[in-house]
Amino acid sequence: MIQLERISKIYGELPKQAIALKNVDLKIGKAEFIVVRGPSGSGKTTLLMSIGGMLQPSSGTVRINDKDIYLLSIVERSRFRALNIGFVFQMFHLIPYLSVLENIILSTRHIKYDDSNKKAYSLIEDLGLSDRINYKPSELSAGECQRVALGRALIHRPKIILADEPTGNLDPENSSIVMKTFSNYHQNGGTVIIVTHGEDADPFADRVIYLKKGEIK
Amino acid sequence: MLFKLIYKEILFRKLNFLLTFLAISLAVAFFVSFFTTNEASKRETIRLTRDMGFNLRIIPKETDMNNFWLKGYSEFYMPEEYVNRFWEFKNFSFAHLTATLHKTIIWNGKEVILTGIAPEIEPSGKKKTSMAFMIDTGMVYVGYEVAKLLNLEHGDTIKILDKNFVITKTLSETGSSDDIRIYGTLSEFQDLLLMEGLVNEIMALNCLCLSPDDDNYLKTIREQLTRVLPEAKVIMNTTIANAREKQRHMLEQYFAVITIFVIILIALWIGVLVMINVRERITEIGILNAMGHGWTEIVGLFLGKALLIGVLSAATGFILGTGLALKFGPDIFKITAGTIKPIYELLFWSLLVAPLFSTFLALIPTMIAIFKDPAVTLRKV
Repeated sequence: MIQLERISKIYGELPKQAIALKNVDLKIGKAEFIVVRGPSGSGKTTLLMSIGGMLQPSSGTVRINDKDIYLLSIVERSRFRALNIGFVFQMFHLIPYLSVLENIILSTRHIKYDDSNKKAYSLIEDLGLSDRINYKPSELSAGECQRVALGRALIHRPKIILADEPTGNLDPENSSIVMKTFSNYHQNGGTVIIVTHGEDADPFADRVIYLKKGEIK
Repeated sequence: MLFKLIYKEILFRKLNFLLTFLAISLAVAFFVSFFTTNEASKRETIRLTRDMGFNLRIIPKETDMNNFWLKGYSEFYMPEEYVNRFWEFKNFSFAHLTATLHKTIIWNGKEVILTGIAPEIEPSGKKKTSMAFMIDTGMVYVGYEVAKLLNLEHGDTIKILDKNFVITKTLSETGSSDDIRIYGTLSEFQDLLLMEGLVNEIMALNCLCLSPDDDNYLKTIREQLTRVLPEAKVIMNTTIANAREKQRHMLEQYFAVITIFVIILIALWIGVLVMINVRERITEIGILNAMGHGWTEIVGLFLGKALLIGVLSAATGFILGTGLALKFGPDIFKITAGTIKPIYELLFWSLLVAPLFSTFLALIPTMIAIFKDPAVTLRKV
């Protein structure tokens, strides 16, 4: 389903070049739960962004369902991302001036849901945020913020979830909620790719990949 | 959706919005108040410079210009009734018109110029304050040097060519031949000099109804005058005319300098605010992109806000600028206060320029933010 062929990403120009990814080959099947582990600066986020169509590699191809996503136009790639990919980040990156409900439905704009609000309410209830529906991110705890971010990533039923250190800022209880949510999504046929330098996601993973200095070990 | 996001963001970052709004509103108010009072300022300038003197001199055609400039007046004479022909000439506009007679005599051992002045003729239907001296019969005004050399004072009775006159004014120093003049009424001086019905100069202040910017201005006047007064010629004191124009241009140049300063200041002010706003929202740009919002939508979010602020500021600035002009303009331009009125055309220009200006300033930081590496902006902030 996801196929990375000799992906390299180089930042800057010589002599101050930094190689974030170096000839990475990776195949990820449908409904796989992948954990990418590695120390800080190993290229995990760059790999995730490249898979998500957010960061064009310096060389190599990224294919999702046999489609080279970087051959798509910017508009087509945005639409592809909106339909197929959900992102979750360590810092949540919620829109600070929108409420819980508004943050979640923000990612439904490309989907012809007749009942996106209804679905959002249902998701909010599943995530235990019913009493926070009109709260702004600044009024929520870290765990609640990450649950809102999960809701935002899941509401349009993407085929792939890409998560960057999703439990990095959370206490064990909230980390567990987040990982269980990913697990449920995976069991329902979704593909999950989590990058982390911790081991808390390992028990849920079909496969753990180690990244070091931009290379898979 | 876009408008909702813009609206919510404005409510969330009120200070940024208010400061940007304030900057553009003040700039618009500055320009609107200037242009609203500009017409009054122009008219006021004309009025004030009027006091600098007559700028058109109509003299007998046969005048030797070399002599004219040496003596300060023509040695030839023309009928006084020319002034009426000039007044009746409808194609030429003037603000002030008077006939004068000048003659040098030796008086008390000194050369003095007797200058007889006819009462000013007003343009038809217009009541104007006289520019020339209004001297009563039997009275004279004495130039500074004459009064000084002969120890003359206000109230003294003097005898000129066997006729007595009372000095009603000794004039202050002008630094010109006016200092050796004795001014009296035209009719009395005509009698005195045995030149009844004759003058050697008609002085006028043209009312600038013709375009003073026209290079052929003097030529046009001469052509027109030839038709009505073929026996006369006209010279124009371009120094006075230029002074009038220069004063106006100076004001416009001053405004141009201030304009550049204001635009740079406002551009920096808004630029910094937009930069701060974009920096604060860099992850928002990244996350919207990650969720599939296209660049056009994200750019629209920032530029739409700038556009909205521009429109609101334009309207507010217009009201503020017009209000300031109406409130304080009459105090500054007392003579021409009546011409200060709202100029609604400025609202159109404000609504056009202010949104374009704010949008342009928002464009660069927005584009810089958009092309930032999302792997960096979304990793950890």
